[in-house]
Amino acid sequence: MPHVERHAEVTWTGNLARGEGFITAPSGAFAELPYSAASRVAQRAETTSPEELLAAAHAGCFAMSLAGELREQDARIAVSANVVLDEVEGQGHRIVESLLTVRARAPGLAQEAFEEAVRAADAGCPFSRLIAAGAKVTIDARLEA
Amino acid sequence: MATERKASVTWYGDLMSGEGTIESVTSGVLGPLEVDWANRAEDAQGKTSPEELIAAAHAACFAMALSHGLAQDGHAPERLETSATVTFVPGTGITKSALTVTGSVPGLDEDGFRKAAEDAKENCPVSSALKGNVELELDARLQ
Repeated sequence: MPHVERHAEVTWTGNLARGEGFITAPSGAFAELPYSAASRVAQRAETTSPEELLAAAHAGCFAMSLAGELREQDARIAVSANVVLDEVEGQGHRIVESLLTVRARAPGLAQEAFEEAVRAADAGCPFSRLIAAGAKVTIDARLEA
Repeated sequence: MATERKASVTWYGDLMSGEGTIESVTSGVLGPLEVDWANRAEDAQGKTSPEELIAAAHAACFAMALSHGLAQDGHAPERLETSATVTFVPGTGITKSALTVTGSVPGLDEDGFRKAAEDAKENCPVSSALKGNVELELDARLQ
């Protein structure tokens, strides 16, 4: 069984409130992305954050899983993931939800087959399964003409 | 108050021969980033993958939680270098996230540092979201 590892590195200086960190991906896809505690919980995001990176991971993961289920070379799949960080009583900050919005076009695909593929993609998406223990995954999927 | 962060992806084609793009994220600092199956499941040839993004999220979350824990105990770190390595076994799923940290923390011994790191590994929000379905590992040492 192939075994794939992916790595990322962070440098953090200072304490939580006034410190800041920089995030680097060895693939070269991104490097030295700044982030801080203030920007992580701000309503208006000015830097990336762990939650934003998880949203990117989830949208990417689900899109691939659905492509794998549909097996349509002409498919176009648009997925967005909205990851919610909230304060949970007695537990501090917790990632409580990831809401996926899925819009797909696949010539000739029946609605029923699409719905079945979405269910299978949710069951098969490694990231959906990973966070299911700690957070709610909600899917709003629509097949477009 | 809840904080929301969003990312949008478009995928064209089937899984094996198709390709996708992480078009945008809430902050605007990432994207467009290309993704495809070969870069995810074989060698990463310059493209990111869900597992790399999870690794980035986890290393970032862990660093923040540890800086907070250390400061609360009166040992604010000068510098923490963290990493996460996420293991993906196609067909099985995401099986492990291995965290490492090297820290410069004035006045703290190795035991105290390891204890704080262990606590951050168990309790940072990303660990909490992943825990239960994935093995978490930690290697913590002072510089």
